[in-house]
Amino acid sequence: MSSCHGTASAPVPGRSTTSVPAKLRVLLVGGPNVGKSTLFNALTGARQRTTNAPGTTVELATGTWRTAADGTADSADSTAHSVTERAIVDLPGSYSLLARSSDEQVTADAVRELARSVREVSGRPGVVVVVLDATTLARSLYLLAQVAETGVPIVVALTMLDLAATATDSPTAGVESATLVAALAASLGVPVVPVDSRNRAAGGLRALARSVDAVAEHPRRVTGIVPLASVPDLAQELARAEMLFAWVEMVAEQVTACCAPSLPVTAHGGAPATSGRPASGSMPGVLRRPLRRTFSDRVDAVLLNPWAGTPVFLAVVWLLFEFTTKFAAPLQAFIGHLVNGPLASGVTWLLGLLGLANGWVQGLLVDGLLVGVGTVLTFLPVMAVMFAALGVLEDSGYLARAAFLADRAMRSLGLDGRALLPLIVGFGCNLPALAATRTLPHARQRLLTGLLIPLTSCSARLTVYVLLAGAFFPQYAGTVIFSMYLASVLLVLCGGLLLRRTVFRDVHAEPLILVLPPYQRPHLRTLGLSVRMRVGAFATGAGKIIVGTMLVVWVLMALPATGQHAVGDVPVADSLYGRAASGIAPVLAPAGFGNDHASAALITGFVAKEVVVGSFAQSYAVAEPGGSVRPGSLGEELRASFDESSGGHGGAAALAFMVFVLAYTPCVAALAEQRRLFGWRPTASALAAQLAGAWVLAVLVFQVGSRL
Amino acid sequence: MTLPEGPLGAELRVTGVRLPAAHAFRLNEMGIRLGTVAHVTQHAAFGGRVIAVAGSRYALDGATAALIDVEPVQRRA
Repeated sequence: MSSCHGTASAPVPGRSTTSVPAKLRVLLVGGPNVGKSTLFNALTGARQRTTNAPGTTVELATGTWRTAADGTADSADSTAHSVTERAIVDLPGSYSLLARSSDEQVTADAVRELARSVREVSGRPGVVVVVLDATTLARSLYLLAQVAETGVPIVVALTMLDLAATATDSPTAGVESATLVAALAASLGVPVVPVDSRNRAAGGLRALARSVDAVAEHPRRVTGIVPLASVPDLAQELARAEMLFAWVEMVAEQVTACCAPSLPVTAHGGAPATSGRPASGSMPGVLRRPLRRTFSDRVDAVLLNPWAGTPVFLAVVWLLFEFTTKFAAPLQAFIGHLVNGPLASGVTWLLGLLGLANGWVQGLLVDGLLVGVGTVLTFLPVMAVMFAALGVLEDSGYLARAAFLADRAMRSLGLDGRALLPLIVGFGCNLPALAATRTLPHARQRLLTGLLIPLTSCSARLTVYVLLAGAFFPQYAGTVIFSMYLASVLLVLCGGLLLRRTVFRDVHAEPLILVLPPYQRPHLRTLGLSVRMRVGAFATGAGKIIVGTMLVVWVLMALPATGQHAVGDVPVADSLYGRAASGIAPVLAPAGFGNDHASAALITGFVAKEVVVGSFAQSYAVAEPGGSVRPGSLGEELRASFDESSGGHGGAAALAFMVFVLAYTPCVAALAEQRRLFGWRPTASALAAQLAGAWVLAVLVFQVGSRL
Repeated sequence: MTLPEGPLGAELRVTGVRLPAAHAFRLNEMGIRLGTVAHVTQHAAFGGRVIAVAGSRYALDGATAALIDVEPVQRRA
């Protein structure tokens, strides 16, 4: 073991990164909330994308980490011939390689796969950058020890040094960064690089690049950890865990002793362990400081207060959706006008020049393709605001508190507070929410949560609420929309209770043990990158489905089912689309919206909720002689047709329609994801239950509402 | 005594964990082990507790907290 003031912390010198010929694979590994993703964003900038881990729905961020070949500058302005590129993967946050969730399994598998390559392949298969949180070293060191046991080349990136400097009761509180880094490097024997991801120029990112390239060429072992020749089985891993706990204690003692020799180092408490041997894991007692309330403690005294916490939580959720409607609506209107006005006119003019005006080509391009693209574009602001708001909640540290606050409510459904996270994500989009169920520890909990997620009102449904609430309740639109979200929460709770008492009697809640990160100011650049990546994924993923759906809808509307009509010049009632809608309309009559427009919109909404508004616009436009989409008139058209189909109770019918949209199948993409995660049988059963439940609720709302 | 019985601000040492083995092990991995000294920083609803361990804050639901045995840390004069 090196001395406290050894020099092992310095980046490994003596080589030029220009000698690194191939693209090095770098895995970022660390616990939740250690600053791993912020570091990933700083290293990759815009050169990143999200993919699913093979065979799973666990999301991975992958990217290219470029630096100038001499490692002295980041690559944005570097010439192509002098750039070193590394393929970097931001693995899911994990406390341990003994995985207890699919996310953790992905991390463990990726590290072990790299370890296998290191053993079996010559050259430089890759490097693991283990991200350690300077304020919670004990927890981070355990994961480092496990990674080191696999035998992969390791570089340590030390984050949160600014917080460590000001923390009040952390073992590293008040320790000089350089001292801490030197002490850690001396104890670990591998490069330890302090990083400040928010400072791209002088935040240690270049030193990290140099260390990674150097370790790729000349791997070092973590002192005190012997790499295992093969992957141990679970029993061996559990047995070795005690040794790793002891190693963590030892390293932590050395570090704290080096950093703060004058501070009282408390001997282990010596409490008897249940196994009869002296307790291990006394690291938290290595350096005990009297508790001093931090800023986060003072905030938590309010936000986690038994009486104040829940109202504050509800207020935060209400604000979230106020932001969505208030900020996104003007942008949506602007984009809508742009697409349906100048852009549509421009395309029509261009087609006129080519002699293709007034035919099916114009209909396909303007009323089909352009309407589809316009629908996607108008939806982007809503998604961006929602992802940004969720990002703020997550980055600020409040989302973990929300999970803790909701634990009791989730527990009544047989779930623990962690289930709240995918359910909250569901309010943005059901698809990532379904993927997020993989973090729940048991398959039955995942299935139960996965069946409840479609009842969370995704932001695609918000466009329908905004349209109908604005058209029928202009004075109370915000309240009506908020009520829909409350109804969604009620549906989740009632649906969960029903399932729990019937087919999920075996589901039991897992213990909730959450690490609460300190409150922090969200980093705007990181937040912006995340929003851009997610909105881009939505546009390219759901966007294709939406545009494709709009084209299919147009084709169905353009093809005559009866009568002598030319293709592209068919009244809705005589088209294939109109016939299908007409066939369904009588079924919806008891709910007050048994008109062709509503049933047609619900048919397309089955494919994607984003299309409902576009479908309304399209069907009204085609229904009118010589009509084109006129945004200003859509509300009037809706009021007229809903009033007619409801016998003068248009408002009640509109509410019933919104409830139906809330409760029935979110979209084909969500169905496909459910099938992939849970199989055909639960998916088909859920689909039938959703359709039946939506119909019953809508009828109930209309029948009660029309009598008030 | 159990963790929920610890008063706000109390300095407590973990003396036993009666959770199922897999959950107890995860608790160990996260840094809460026998002998760990923790401070109670927040009493939350339904018996939930927030404890401070070595600079970290852990939130535990009421049922889990009730299965963690603790004793007050005796400060030397």
